[in-house]
Amino acid sequence: MSPWPLFCQQLVNGLTIGAIYALIAVGYTMVYGVIQLINFAHGEVFMVGAYLALTVCLLVGASHALTGIALVALCLVMAVVAMAGCGLLGWGIERVAYRPLRPRPDNCLTPVGASRDGHTPRLTALITAIGVSFFLQNAVMLVYGATDRRFPALVPPLRWEVGGATVTVLQVVIVATGTVLMIAVQGLVMGTKLGTAMRATAQDHKACWLLGIPVDRIIVITFILGSVLAAIGGILFGLYYNTINFHDGYLTGLKAFTAAVLGGIGNIPGAMVGGVVLGVLEGLGAGYLSSQWKNVFAFVVLVGLLLFKPTGLLGERVAERA
Amino acid sequence: MSPWLLFAGALVIAGCGRDDRVIKIGFVAPLTGDQAPHGEDMRNGAKLAVEHANVQGELLGGYRLALVELDDQRNPTQAVVAAKRLVADRDVLAVVGHLNSSCTMPASAIYHQARLLQISPVSSNPQISRQGFDTFYRTCATDDLQGPAAALFAVRELGATRIFIIDDVTTYGRGLANELEKKLRELGAEVLGHEGITQGEKDFMPLLTKIKSLEPDLVYFAGMFPEGALLIKQRLDAGVGGSFMGGDGLFDPVLIDLATPEAAEGVILTTIGSDIHQVPTAQAFVNAYEERFGQVGAYSAYSYEATTIAIWAIQQALQNNRNLFSRTSGGVSPVTERRQAVLDVMDEFAGHPGLFGVQRFDEKGDSLIRDIGLFTVQDGRFVFLKTASWE
Repeated sequence: MSPWPLFCQQLVNGLTIGAIYALIAVGYTMVYGVIQLINFAHGEVFMVGAYLALTVCLLVGASHALTGIALVALCLVMAVVAMAGCGLLGWGIERVAYRPLRPRPDNCLTPVGASRDGHTPRLTALITAIGVSFFLQNAVMLVYGATDRRFPALVPPLRWEVGGATVTVLQVVIVATGTVLMIAVQGLVMGTKLGTAMRATAQDHKACWLLGIPVDRIIVITFILGSVLAAIGGILFGLYYNTINFHDGYLTGLKAFTAAVLGGIGNIPGAMVGGVVLGVLEGLGAGYLSSQWKNVFAFVVLVGLLLFKPTGLLGERVAERA
Repeated sequence: MSPWLLFAGALVIAGCGRDDRVIKIGFVAPLTGDQAPHGEDMRNGAKLAVEHANVQGELLGGYRLALVELDDQRNPTQAVVAAKRLVADRDVLAVVGHLNSSCTMPASAIYHQARLLQISPVSSNPQISRQGFDTFYRTCATDDLQGPAAALFAVRELGATRIFIIDDVTTYGRGLANELEKKLRELGAEVLGHEGITQGEKDFMPLLTKIKSLEPDLVYFAGMFPEGALLIKQRLDAGVGGSFMGGDGLFDPVLIDLATPEAAEGVILTTIGSDIHQVPTAQAFVNAYEERFGQVGAYSAYSYEATTIAIWAIQQALQNNRNLFSRTSGGVSPVTERRQAVLDVMDEFAGHPGLFGVQRFDEKGDSLIRDIGLFTVQDGRFVFLKTASWE
């Protein structure tokens, strides 16, 4: 294999995993945008999505590659179940674990972002997020067992040669799904009334409340939206690697969070760019240095980049607060 | 919590009420996490040995035998925690475990300090027994045999000349890969590269893409089955040609399930002992195991063997000096004295009829049964090829 096709192949590899990172990263970034919380349980929501899709496969009895209408139908069912389940989970997490810790926007005595005695409650929410993450990991371990589970390879292993690089049908599906969903989310946030309300909430909870925007509902919708995207990420992850583990949410979630920071936290197009850049960096690091050093390489680049551009590639988009 | 653990716990509580009529054997392996299937196989083997001993009853002079099962999650830190717990338990007179060399290594120092007999069923890194601990024994062949055996098979029988080596950077994986690489160079094969991967990682496509561009005729992976399965599966996706070989860490039916039978077809493995189904002396064990737990796992037999020897040593110590086990002995700490008595028995170990023939140990504590088995995957099952030679 000559150098150029090899490079292209590494690019394709990186793009695929990058698209999955991006799908998860959007959830981190949107939640951070509206309540400045790093939702560490988000990686676990992604993992639950993969497990829900596996459950559908087990119930249907699908274990091998399918074709035509059966494949499309099963994928749709998996997507609906995983999205509904994760959406519900996202709603539940926000309602049970985060909302009770958040100062009410209608409480005029409490400045936004501070608890009654003046300390920031954000740290409390962060610790809660870690707690929720552990809870979900162990819950899945108890329900599905502690070992790796095989995720059936449903998509037939078709591949094409493009410029010397091999592209599988699944890689195309992953990148296409990622791209379409990203454009849809961006459209929703920038072009709809709901999106406007989200952006307004990101700027100032109290002002939004005064203007009659249902702040709590907007926040919960943000959680649900992020979780739904993570569910899709989980299904694609399962289909691509064919094994899932209750532990998978941790490392992948961490990478996706990194992608969100790389692109500029709070910035949706940034999360997409960050995901793809991180995936490609990992691919090139493993391909040209050593696979042992792939994470080191990716994170050294990240640190270097943040030194020169502390707000990430596309810039942080968090409202300035007095 | 497993019913057995509850049972063992109940035994402990029952034992506390009366005088100490219970003797415990510690068992440590990964019982949760990705390598739990291996740990489960080992636990079943140890359980069976304890059940057999308890059925025979009077052999231990009225003492009941209990297995204390601990989980090290294949994590060296957890292994040390488990080792310290066992050392602190006054009724524990021997330990069977751990699975991973990276866990056995630090734990062995703790058992040595506490004068507690440790028999590792399957930790095969040669360095462990070279630490000079007289408390350490193992019932498997070591990687300074397995590595060369794999190299010889690859070069002489598969005719491989261009080889790429991957390992999982653990004590076991790196150790095995280095032994293999040394022998390959000796044999004049070209080692195209030797790279590490991280345990728990899922995406090996970049590495495999690079390997594809080097056009090897054999890829060798020294590591465990969760990563092995992904490498085998993704190797097909990446279009890496040639053969795929691995060590005993891959020897688990879960490998074929996770990798899919199509991708695993033709994969060749070495194991740290010959095929249990081919050994006439092991058939009683195989039947008893299958009746109780189903299919015999890769490491079940070694765990059974290790536990049987531990029980035997405790019995001998008990026969040699019955007073040692009563509370009356004063002076030196009775716990250390009891444990030392078991070690003394092992010092004079002259051989014990085991599953793979008469089990003996060399002065380092390594088993003298040094068969390396060769298996291949055929139609989604492991098929025994032959016993390999390492010289």
